[in-house]
Amino acid sequence: MTRILCVAEKPSIAKAVANHLGGQARAENVRGIQWVKNYKFDYEFQRWGRSTVTFTSVAGHIQNMDFQSRYRKWNECQPGELFEAPTQVFVADDKKPISDNIASQAAYANILFIWTDCDREGEHIGSEIREIARKANPNIQVWRARFSNIERAHIIQAAANPIQLDDAQVNAVAARIELDLRLGAAFTRMQTLALQNMIPQRDEVRKVISYGSCQFPTLGFVVDRYLRVRSFVPEPFWYIKVVHEKDGISVKFTWRRGHLFDRMAVIIMFERCLLSKTAKVTKTSKKPTKKWKPLPLTTVELQKMGSRFLRMTSQDVMTTAEALYTKGWISYPRTETDQFDKGMDLRRLIERQQQDNRWGGFAQNLMNGGFSQPRNGRNNDKAHPPIHPVNYVAPTQLNDNEKRVYEFVVRRFLACCSEDALGEATDVEIEYGGENFHAHGLTVIARNYLDVYPYDKWESSQNLPAYAVGEIVEPKEATMEEGKTTPPSYLTEPELIALMDANGIGTDATMAEHIQKIKDREYVIARTKGGASGNGGEGSGGARGRGRGRGRAGRGGRGGAAAAQGHGAGAATGGIQEFIPTTLGIALIEGYDNVGFETSLSKPFLRKEMEVQMKAICEGRSSRNDVVQQNLDQYRAVFIRTTQQINVLKAAITKYVVQPNQS
Amino acid sequence: MATNLVAELTQHLNGRHLYPTPAWIQSFVSSTRPNTPLPALKQTALFRLLAADITTTLKPSPSSLFPQDIFNSEIKVRQLTGPIICQVLDIEDIGLSRWAQVEAIEAQERGETTKGREIIRVVETETEGPAITPALQSRGPFKLLLQDAKGAQAYALDLSGIDGISTNMSMGSKLLLRTIQVRRAVVMLEPSNVQLLGGKLDALDSAWKRARKDRLMGAAKTSAGPNS
Repeated sequence: MTRILCVAEKPSIAKAVANHLGGQARAENVRGIQWVKNYKFDYEFQRWGRSTVTFTSVAGHIQNMDFQSRYRKWNECQPGELFEAPTQVFVADDKKPISDNIASQAAYANILFIWTDCDREGEHIGSEIREIARKANPNIQVWRARFSNIERAHIIQAAANPIQLDDAQVNAVAARIELDLRLGAAFTRMQTLALQNMIPQRDEVRKVISYGSCQFPTLGFVVDRYLRVRSFVPEPFWYIKVVHEKDGISVKFTWRRGHLFDRMAVIIMFERCLLSKTAKVTKTSKKPTKKWKPLPLTTVELQKMGSRFLRMTSQDVMTTAEALYTKGWISYPRTETDQFDKGMDLRRLIERQQQDNRWGGFAQNLMNGGFSQPRNGRNNDKAHPPIHPVNYVAPTQLNDNEKRVYEFVVRRFLACCSEDALGEATDVEIEYGGENFHAHGLTVIARNYLDVYPYDKWESSQNLPAYAVGEIVEPKEATMEEGKTTPPSYLTEPELIALMDANGIGTDATMAEHIQKIKDREYVIARTKGGASGNGGEGSGGARGRGRGRGRAGRGGRGGAAAAQGHGAGAATGGIQEFIPTTLGIALIEGYDNVGFETSLSKPFLRKEMEVQMKAICEGRSSRNDVVQQNLDQYRAVFIRTTQQINVLKAAITKYVVQPNQS
Repeated sequence: MATNLVAELTQHLNGRHLYPTPAWIQSFVSSTRPNTPLPALKQTALFRLLAADITTTLKPSPSSLFPQDIFNSEIKVRQLTGPIICQVLDIEDIGLSRWAQVEAIEAQERGETTKGREIIRVVETETEGPAITPALQSRGPFKLLLQDAKGAQAYALDLSGIDGISTNMSMGSKLLLRTIQVRRAVVMLEPSNVQLLGGKLDALDSAWKRARKDRLMGAAKTSAGPNS
């Protein structure tokens, strides 16, 4: 019989897949590492026939890239040398048992069948496994499974259709790893050595001031918004409001100009209105309108919606989605695709949701003719479908976070398969003293998808009376009102994710990690929006930051108001998060900006370029070597400029960190 | 010859409702080279006149000036027949908060603009100059400060959007106004009654542009003052 070694990316996937293929697979312990198991069973593969299978796993990357030992010590080389210093790839000590296990299993296997997650990182981990296996057994055949969820039929399908590893993706990740290592180490060492002594130390630990090519632009967004909020100046504005009464309905007309910032001008316009006494209807329309159902769910969207409506951080949302995926309840949660493949049997997935007592009825209606093909977005990563429920799971089997994320994924999916909401919009426009005013009315006729998707709001407004074009009306009331501009709010997590997404910082898979990183580094603090009172995070206080408002479950305010109805459980872990930079965070960003805007590390441009080049490698338009060299050259220029002007960076630290601490 | 030339030029300029003082014409003529063809001279004269301060170059005749009580805000509405020549001393976008304009200027100084949430770096190409589309399009309405040939100043409003009137226009540009309404001492500009003649006052224009951000910041802070 053919011997096949299967390797998954994590133990939980190995277990789930092994059980799908082998029934109750026998688990054997692996020497030196208790949480990795080898599952043994026989299986009839379409391609290889009846085979003896060992199904094991790794735990993320097995190999590590680092500089050769001489360059690992901080004091033995100049940070600038790290741009060229020789590197080596090796198996980290804690991954040795895993690597040994693969090697010893591969030694007598005919085929290596790789089951790592189907994304760029998974492809690279697959190549690491391949390397170890080939070293132990040069004749081993290597295949890879393509799958995007852990549902039984899908897994069996994947087992029957092995493909090859994609070396272009492997190379893209290799480039990313090398750049992260070199840039991270060079800048971290350089700035730490230069600035560490200036920063007040607490405890005995000397703080490393770390740099990462995604971290810094992420921090840059937070600082940028913070400074905008801080420097904001409120200004008064004025506007005109008109009320007309017809058929017993009082209709409020709003000014087409919105509001203006010059009182004299508005007074003159207002007087002109009053002088003209009557207004004339210039336009009326009554037409059907729609609120479009949402697009199929991508990772970025899941994270944004998660922090907006589920009151979870993006990191928590991803961890939870990961768990739901591993257990086979939802599809792979890292995807950029927002279009369902035409051939996909969506009805089968809807059918499984009929048994739920919250949305089962809605699912039934879809099955009975209410189904409508989901809209297509513009993205397709060609690897995974949009995130969707794979199987039904009763809420009693899930923990709190899982319940919330699962509910969201299901509701979103059912909404996608439903009809747009339909309504009728009425618009009336009048001309009054040379100025235009309009009134808008909405009648919702069919809620359709809204019934299952409480995260969207669309409600009927008051009915407008009938007006005819040319009709002369005499406003009942015209008033001049005053208002004031309000500052933007601190950057919230969904906004930050949207900014990172639009500016190419990180991938959908890594954004949450970068956000977590800048929190861990104490470059920013996160607090619940509307929780703490306005003045947290003002200057002073070193890197520690006060006002860590978590757990206050502060609702109300703007963020909280949107928190979905229909969440009976309501055991909130916190509201929507907003970020405030620490003094150290501000100082670093301002320091780099002062060295030079064009290539400041706080800006997304350099990193975005890198991300574009990764894609080019994947698509075969560029090579690993070219991309690495090009990026090293660009960042080296910034590095040299920064070291030459290190005093600029120091001045920023003095301004924000040293001086506030002394006073 | 010289008198003939003076007459030709005067006629040419008068045809555009510009009535330069004899002294200006004289000094212009004496500054020209003898063999320049007449059409070129006419053009140069117009160009120079538009680039000069009308309070010193034009003959103020009552019909081409603002009325003496232009500042009287007791008068709700009145009509001026004109044609009146005036120059722009200042313009403000009153559709955007001053602070929003300051932020837009700062983004431009950093060489950035935004497209939705995406931040875009603007690279200045040497040949084409800055191909910057500012993040915040200035669309008005606009409030202007105008000055006539005698130096009298009046505010004006452009509420309907007139081609060429925006915060990007040159200070010192000349406007020709006809049958125009004045409400509460404010001149109401309309596409049908304003003609842009162009021109600018270099010193005023560059000083205005240089100080614009500071002026906006100052104005924002003052306007917020009593309320906050």
